[in-house]
Amino acid sequence: MKKLRVMVILALVSLATLGAQTINVLLWDDPYPKALQQMLPEFEKATGIKVNIEMLQPPQVYTKTSVAVTKDSSDYDLVAMDEGNVPVFAGLMSPYETWPAGQKYPKVDKSTVTSAMLDVGMWDGKLVALPINGNLYVWMTRKDLIENPQYQKDFKAKYGYELGVPKTYQAVLDMGTFFNDRGIAAGFGPFNGGPAGVLGEAIFMWEGFGTHFIDFQGGKYKVVLDKAKAVQGLEFYKKLMAISPKGAETMAHVERQAAFAADPKGVFSMFIWPAQIAAYEDPDKSLVAGKIAYSAPPAGPAKTAAVRGTWALGIPTASKQKQAAAEFVYWWASKDIASRLVDANTVPARTDALTDPKFAKTKPWLAAIAESMKSATARPRLKEIAQIQDVVKKYWIMGITGQSPAADAIDSIIAETNAILAKAGY
Amino acid sequence: MRYSPKPATEGARTATRRRGARRLAAPLFFLAPSLLVVFAVLVFPILFSLFVSTFDWPLSAGGGDRRFIGMGNYVELSVSPEFWNSLKLQLGFIFIALPVELLFGYVAALLLNREFFGARVVRTLLLLPVFFLPIISGMTWRFMLQPRYGPLNALLLKLGAPEVTWLSDPTFAYLAVVAQDIWRMWPFMFMILYAGLTNIPNELLEAAQIDGAGFWRKQRSLIVPLMTPTILTALLLRIIDALRIFSEVYVMTEGGPGDATQLFSLFTNRVAFGYGKVGLASAMAIFLLALSILFATTLVRKNMSLDVLEEKAGGR
Repeated sequence: MKKLRVMVILALVSLATLGAQTINVLLWDDPYPKALQQMLPEFEKATGIKVNIEMLQPPQVYTKTSVAVTKDSSDYDLVAMDEGNVPVFAGLMSPYETWPAGQKYPKVDKSTVTSAMLDVGMWDGKLVALPINGNLYVWMTRKDLIENPQYQKDFKAKYGYELGVPKTYQAVLDMGTFFNDRGIAAGFGPFNGGPAGVLGEAIFMWEGFGTHFIDFQGGKYKVVLDKAKAVQGLEFYKKLMAISPKGAETMAHVERQAAFAADPKGVFSMFIWPAQIAAYEDPDKSLVAGKIAYSAPPAGPAKTAAVRGTWALGIPTASKQKQAAAEFVYWWASKDIASRLVDANTVPARTDALTDPKFAKTKPWLAAIAESMKSATARPRLKEIAQIQDVVKKYWIMGITGQSPAADAIDSIIAETNAILAKAGY
Repeated sequence: MRYSPKPATEGARTATRRRGARRLAAPLFFLAPSLLVVFAVLVFPILFSLFVSTFDWPLSAGGGDRRFIGMGNYVELSVSPEFWNSLKLQLGFIFIALPVELLFGYVAALLLNREFFGARVVRTLLLLPVFFLPIISGMTWRFMLQPRYGPLNALLLKLGAPEVTWLSDPTFAYLAVVAQDIWRMWPFMFMILYAGLTNIPNELLEAAQIDGAGFWRKQRSLIVPLMTPTILTALLLRIIDALRIFSEVYVMTEGGPGDATQLFSLFTNRVAFGYGKVGLASAMAIFLLALSILFATTLVRKNMSLDVLEEKAGGR
């Protein structure tokens, strides 16, 4: 009798295990998915779906997706794609309109996604991935510096206008130079890390000076960079480099965060991806928590360009667990979870969570994000973007570090990008 | 019975062939499992890589959208400035780092080829860098060379020198990558050369001493010639290893600034997993294989054959 009981229990446990669905999810590693991970047990308990999350650094997410997801097979049931990579994987993803209806959570209406972000998941006229975070350039300025009466007085005496959150590129340069020359703080925090980040900085300057990089014209991608304006943008960035911390030529996110938030001297002003705000506002990790003023990026002579870098979630067509994967996305993108993610100092893509009045006072960056979204600017979106990014990174860095004259650097970017596009058949 | 050779008939030749085949059958039968394993583990991946290198093979297509292009990838490489730049950097790395590692290893082996108090501990401690994971070594060097927080710049500043942005300058970054490799791998040279030195019979050294040979004479005429196979083995192993260097450079510089440290393996990785061009990356892998074989052939066949070694021994 005892043996029989044990066998029945074992059989039930086996059945339960076999019956439970498991989905494999590939995400990027930053505070946003980590905050979500804390809430995961609730989803698993409510649905019985087990979620295996694998978090990797953004370049590795791209690599892993390339290797693990094909038309016929997929190691993942859900993958996150950085904005620039959506065109690369679009053909391997199920269009959102074909995603099944939710059984526990209702299918998310795509109109809930902030319009500036929705475009990220679109390819060839279809929504192939659901944008999940509100990542675009937001500007950080050291509040404690601009509110210092002595600095305000000295700055006005020298430059003739008020010290404050910089509204233009020139103001970033003036104010940054003011603090840098006095040894109070480095003036600017550039981003010269990975190729995608460098392309973002180049686009930020080129758009600000009034020129596009690549356009889609007559069914073909074409370099439309205005050389004179592109050179101006690069030359201006070179001036910003001169007031940046030592080692700025290779500064990636880790070094930027260390310089801005962990170095007692700090940095006066620079952009941040909202996904990383949580780390800058964590008093255990940051010397400047609560001392940062957030705003839309400063404007160039031509316009303001808030470069976008949003992540979107796609379900591979080869996934065998589409229903469970969709259920997980619907839960993640729901109003309730989005609000809790905002509360955890991260930034989802839902308009209603970002504009919720209850966060207005405690999350000052939300207003800045809303303002930035008015000037959201995409990096070029095409399959050959990895090669193009490498070209831009190589010559942009050579230009801003003085290894190459600015005009030569821009010429090389134009020539080599044209060669890549020509080879790709455009 | 006297043996008289006579012209073999066609039937006799066939019978001889059959006997030969039967004699081979048994050894082949017993060797077959090993040969199959060797083929599966060693030969097949190379053949497959060669096969892939003849295709335009996008990474994310999983082979579905591949297109046969014959030698197209090799032609593309031959006209690619990035390819030649990465090869130049890779060879430069080998020709700078390895001689220094060899020199350090040889000198240390000579110095420590004697017994003194704590000799074993010193010899063991010297090997520590070799056991460092390459990725950790790269990270450590990256932090050491950080301009604001790194200990190297802190020391320089204390001495009144200007702050240097090591990994932001193309020349310094390249030299830093080389220095990191020398630091991590010279003890490997020491280890091999020390083992070689201890195998030289003491009688020979004592005889040379009695004959009045000084330090340099002993080195030139006795130790170096006897150590040649060991030195060449150490060099060969290091060359093969250095041709594949990746993770430490990746975490130190990611190939930058610009493409100043984009060594061959980093560029191959970029082509395969950045650009998604598996065929082109496979062509690069085949090129690297050919280069390794060339190095190995040159070193082994021309310097380590018995004829050459005997000739050297006879020349002494």
